[in-house]
Amino acid sequence: MDTKKNLYSPSTIIILALMFVASVYFLLPFFWIIVASTKSDSQLFSTNPLWFTSPFNFLNNVQTVSSYDNSILWRWFLNSIIYAGSVSAGTTLISAMAGFAFSKYDFKGKNTIFYIILGTIMVPTTALVLPIYLLMHGLNLINTYWAVILPSLVNPFTVYLMRIFWMKEFPNELIDAAHVDGASDFAIFFRIGLPLVRGGLATVALFSFVGTWNNFFLPLVVISKSNLYPLTLGLQVWTSITTTSVGRGAPPYGAITMGILISIIPLILAFILLRKYWQSGLSSGAVKG
Amino acid sequence: MKIRIRSRKYMPFVFLSPFLILFALFYIAPLIYGFYLSLFHKYGLRPSTFVGMENYVKAFTDNGFLSSILTMGEFFLIQGSIMIFLALLFALYIDNEKNHFRGFFRLVYYIPFAIPTVISGILWGFMYSKSLSPFQSIFGLVGLHPNFLASNSLFWSILNIVTWEWVGYNMIIIYSGLQSIPRELYESARMDGARNFDIIKYIKLPLIVPSLVLAVVFTVIGTFQIFNEPYVLQSMTYVSIHFTPNLYIYTTAFSYGNFNFAAAMAIVLALVTFAVSMIFMRFAGFKEE
Repeated sequence: MDTKKNLYSPSTIIILALMFVASVYFLLPFFWIIVASTKSDSQLFSTNPLWFTSPFNFLNNVQTVSSYDNSILWRWFLNSIIYAGSVSAGTTLISAMAGFAFSKYDFKGKNTIFYIILGTIMVPTTALVLPIYLLMHGLNLINTYWAVILPSLVNPFTVYLMRIFWMKEFPNELIDAAHVDGASDFAIFFRIGLPLVRGGLATVALFSFVGTWNNFFLPLVVISKSNLYPLTLGLQVWTSITTTSVGRGAPPYGAITMGILISIIPLILAFILLRKYWQSGLSSGAVKG
Repeated sequence: MKIRIRSRKYMPFVFLSPFLILFALFYIAPLIYGFYLSLFHKYGLRPSTFVGMENYVKAFTDNGFLSSILTMGEFFLIQGSIMIFLALLFALYIDNEKNHFRGFFRLVYYIPFAIPTVISGILWGFMYSKSLSPFQSIFGLVGLHPNFLASNSLFWSILNIVTWEWVGYNMIIIYSGLQSIPRELYESARMDGARNFDIIKYIKLPLIVPSLVLAVVFTVIGTFQIFNEPYVLQSMTYVSIHFTPNLYIYTTAFSYGNFNFAAAMAIVLALVTFAVSMIFMRFAGFKEE
């Protein structure tokens, strides 16, 4: 009865309408980029920005972006997958191990170490990235994949998340039972533990993948060779060339809009398909907060 | 704390070592190195000279740096309030099982978080620019021709981008807090005659204070680090390098080559972020665990 009353009350309808207005706001840039990706450069500047026009140039733009500058966009796409994939795999394992140690062992200085790690969440990236640039320079690692991957593997937040998952999903009685059976610590971690915290692993893997895919500042500083750019850096460079130059040789807008679309589709798909994980992940993080 | 695993003393460190080694190399070492750098000054090609706190004195008397921090302070107060308020409203809406389209709104509001902030910056930058903007024709209907990229509207234009990106993220943090409240509390309150509004005011809000504090602290950290959006817009319009501290620090290091002064400013920025976060946490009476 209550539900029925709520369904038809004017305030319910007004609130629902406002929620839909907000949805339009959040979806507008996506709609705009989809429309823009179907237009040639001249159509882009002369037709209604919020509606399609004919002829439809979607496939032309795919072709333009794929062939421009020796198909470098696909190289950037591959780079982004390499950066995000390796960081995601590495971070997940490293954080799972560290979270296991913090939640299942007692050792001297445990809390101190943990709070130092947690405290560094507040350190601004510039305070780290400037010295990292000089360190990488000294190690001759500037303009290598390592310069992006190695610093990105350290993620205090995912260690914090994994610690919570170990505490919640892996009962301590299981450890006692495993010890009685003579299982080693590694067997406990890999064979009994990891399958139990797989929800946490998926969450951390997703977050570090997206975080690395979206990272811009670190690659901006340590990568200057265009064939090592991730998509974010490549598209920013294209945009700045196109919007600031009047001369020839600048990438057409069709390449940029299509490039943007290509760069965000995997993320949107990942978020829709894996929404179970980011929701559970953030909730376990925030509950403990 | 109870001992969970009785093994050899070094076992926890075996699990911690991959993280701790990388943490030492890419967090602790850069911070120490950054501090070391900040104590020197390099004149041209001559070797660095020790100048003690001179760079810090310079930072605290540098009008550009101070103005960038003040701008972000103002940005935090205005944008943070708008964003947390909206995030709270949205979270309350999607938390109430009786409301319609909860899953849809949760996904749609959160999805901008999946987009790289550089790409969001490019997208909104295009949508702001006179020739591509879908807003010009909308505002034109009422005789307005706003220039979103003019220097006096840039603050608000960037505020809009940042809000678009982060409302959903904060909504999820607050929503997670709401979800952890036992539903029985609402039932018993209803039996005592409480209305929805009373439940929000007397049960939900007090119980999600930790989530709100978390959201605000993340906002403080994020705001003082804003870089990507103004950096991207630099190619579309004039953006002062004093707009955000990170923009100024980056320019000082990589355009002017003054790493020493940049390192000092980065450390001051870290301290400011830390101080503001701490003041806020104290203010909210927040305690860890």
